[in-house]
Amino acid sequence: MRLLPALLLPLLLAACTKPETALTVLGGSELADLKPILEDVAKSTGVKLDITYTGTLDGTEQLLTGPASGQAAPDLVWFSSARYLQLQGGLKGRLLASEKIMLSPVVLGVKASDAKKWGWSSGKVSWKDVAARAASGELKYGMTNPAASNSGLSALIGVVAALSGKGDAITASDVTAPELKGFFRGQALTAGSSGWLAEAYVRDQAKLNGLINYESVLLSLNAGGKLNEPLTLVYPEDGLITADYPLLLLNKDRQPEYAKLVAALRSPDIQRRIMNETRRRPVNPAVALSSAFPAGLNIELPFPGSAEAVNAVLTAYLQDTRRPANTIFVLDTSGSMGGERMASLKAALLGLSGTDTSLTGRYAGFASRERVTFIPFSSDVNPAQTTEIGAGDKAAALSQLSQQVTALSPGGGTNIYGALQAAYTQAGQAPAGRYTSIVLMTDGESNEGPSAREFEDFYNGLPAAAKAVKTFTILFGDGSKDAMNQIATLTGGRTFDGTKDLQGAFKQIRGYQ
Amino acid sequence: MKRPLNILLTVLLLLGLGFGIYVSVRGQFSARSVVTVRGVIGSEKEDFFRDPEVVAALLKRQFRVEYVKAGSREIAGRDLNGLDFAFPAGVPAADALKKRVKPQQTYDVFYTPVVVASFQPILKILEQNNLAKTQGSYGTLDMQALLRVMEAGTRWTALKGSAAYPSSRSVLVSTTDVRKSNSAAMYLALVSSILNGGQVAQASDLDQNFTSPNGLQEGTQGTLMPQVAPLFLRQGYQESSSAGPFEDYQALGAGKTPLVNIYESQFLAAAREKTLPQGAVLLYPQPGIFTKHVLIPLTPAGARLGEALTSDPELQRLAARAGYRTRDASLFMAQVKAAGVSVPASILDTADLPSQEVMEAMIGNIEAQYPK
Repeated sequence: MRLLPALLLPLLLAACTKPETALTVLGGSELADLKPILEDVAKSTGVKLDITYTGTLDGTEQLLTGPASGQAAPDLVWFSSARYLQLQGGLKGRLLASEKIMLSPVVLGVKASDAKKWGWSSGKVSWKDVAARAASGELKYGMTNPAASNSGLSALIGVVAALSGKGDAITASDVTAPELKGFFRGQALTAGSSGWLAEAYVRDQAKLNGLINYESVLLSLNAGGKLNEPLTLVYPEDGLITADYPLLLLNKDRQPEYAKLVAALRSPDIQRRIMNETRRRPVNPAVALSSAFPAGLNIELPFPGSAEAVNAVLTAYLQDTRRPANTIFVLDTSGSMGGERMASLKAALLGLSGTDTSLTGRYAGFASRERVTFIPFSSDVNPAQTTEIGAGDKAAALSQLSQQVTALSPGGGTNIYGALQAAYTQAGQAPAGRYTSIVLMTDGESNEGPSAREFEDFYNGLPAAAKAVKTFTILFGDGSKDAMNQIATLTGGRTFDGTKDLQGAFKQIRGYQ
Repeated sequence: MKRPLNILLTVLLLLGLGFGIYVSVRGQFSARSVVTVRGVIGSEKEDFFRDPEVVAALLKRQFRVEYVKAGSREIAGRDLNGLDFAFPAGVPAADALKKRVKPQQTYDVFYTPVVVASFQPILKILEQNNLAKTQGSYGTLDMQALLRVMEAGTRWTALKGSAAYPSSRSVLVSTTDVRKSNSAAMYLALVSSILNGGQVAQASDLDQNFTSPNGLQEGTQGTLMPQVAPLFLRQGYQESSSAGPFEDYQALGAGKTPLVNIYESQFLAAAREKTLPQGAVLLYPQPGIFTKHVLIPLTPAGARLGEALTSDPELQRLAARAGYRTRDASLFMAQVKAAGVSVPASILDTADLPSQEVMEAMIGNIEAQYPK
């Protein structure tokens, strides 16, 4: 027993010479798979990372507007790509250093049988070929929303650059290639995050032919044992865009820790672990690429040189080239929604109708060609109010939506499942070619109308097209987490927490519509 | 049985602690005669000053160097209070500093040519199109011919023998951001002189009555800049990391950067560290251009550091090992050979640099054309 202090002392001394410093990081959610590696790096360097996960555009906005009062700006920023961030004039001089840590190209994964059928198994596929298969309806794929997630943005920029036929970086005037609409006709699944897209693909794989995602995600899917059919990875010969995960330094006082961290992350041992455990490619040329990766030459497309050009590409996608959305909002107007709750619901919906002019608000707002339906409910389910936003000027449609939102008034009970049934009936009548989704916002538990069980039976009896519509639920007020999760799981949707920030939850869901 | 072990461990621990204190105290005593010199350096030289052997060699000469990094273009304009020396890359920055601080002497510590890093299959394609020649294990680039191809927006797929690199992207040399970095400024100096008919660009080659599309700049247009600026603007997004596109060259290879403008020293340092990508090859532009690394002393201590860096054989050897060309060419060639690379012993056909004012005007012209 006396041995213990003698053994402990050196340990304590060691701990004193290497105190663990924690650096705050604003990071992309896809970094979560690095956790075990980062824990070991923390042990060896004494530098621990305290990561707050967010989307690229969200994070960019947070950095541009500054931290909420009482909060410090992060020491580091770590997204899959910092190109959009680096292009923001407002961040000039604040990003003190940038070092790439790992690589993953954004590519298309196609079911092996389809790849074989289309002659895509042995390379030599261009984005034009992909666009043609999508336009003809043969290729149905999943891709994240480019305004919410970097893999979608990289794919969009790549497709626009490849289809523009230009040899140089695209500019704001290059966003309207005729093949683009055809390409996006094949987008049968969208998502606000690359990780969720992969999960949704697993659930919906029978209805899809493939998905666009990071090479690392696709290789992990193939190795994960949840696919009925492996994916053939297609690296378009006219080029792609690779995520390079740069670690950015914001706080100049953390320079020494930053240098230590970068050195450790780029050391051959850690690079090899990143390659083997997360299936991302190493940036350190001293580490040879393993045989898990195809060895061919990947032509990299140039990323635009200005935020203006990226914004033009995003705007054209949302307003003009994507499959137009058919969005159904099921809104609780029961008595308990009175006062502040109703006020925040109205603020969130008015934000989508044009009052939110922030960077994320602009892309989350209702888009040209979108069909928006409100189904307010309390004890009864009110008649659906549908607004068709035309391809041209949105002002009249947005003002009609604003009036409908302003007119919402609380009173009565909570008939959640009756309202959901109405939404699915409405979804079944959607015009063809639209991307339909349902949002359910309620602040309480269902106390009138059909039961959860009855709704499930109703849902299971729906025709395939209506059944494919996902419901995204928002947890709010005294809503039941279990009930919200159950509806999301049944329909393939996802639950969002609106208890602290209802507007934020609505904006996040826009990435899934 | 346990007690003796316990005592032994305690004794060992105390001995260890005592030795640690001894070493640290001794270090502090000998440090008394060491002078700390503070300076601002171009970020490309950080690896040199961080090299433990360089630190040791400097300590032997009683120097401890503390530095802050800055872009070489930025150094000329920054506050130099409390510093002993400034050590930018490139003569334009050194000249601007000289004008400002009027030192009695400056020190040409070492120099390095601006080169283009590429890949063997790319060199073969360039050769088939009479744009480059293989010389042993490196190549030479016919800049005039290459500029014609680049200006015409020719794609790789339009070149003879492009099957090995079937990219529909335009042939273009990747550079760092010319607004921030000296290596891109050197490329600008080189291409401006070639496009100016082999004459160093003068203020009179730039028009004085020009307003840029975004209204940021007036003056300096003429016929030269409309040819020069697209070579930078067409690249699109440019890396802002210290290593710039050379990092992409190392990590992403030919698919991203078939041709990248770098310092020869960067390539040689990577060769020594064995971090060059497969098939890496150096191309020497003809004509070429040099970057001199000139130390501008701001205090007598800074002058003594300049003297040591220029004349100390060990420091010059370490500079050569870091990839820089030194006054003694044999020193450099020996280090290059040790790294397993071969390079031309001397570069004869070189372009001269425009004056600092003309450089600034050209960079300003390009800067004004970047979209916001």
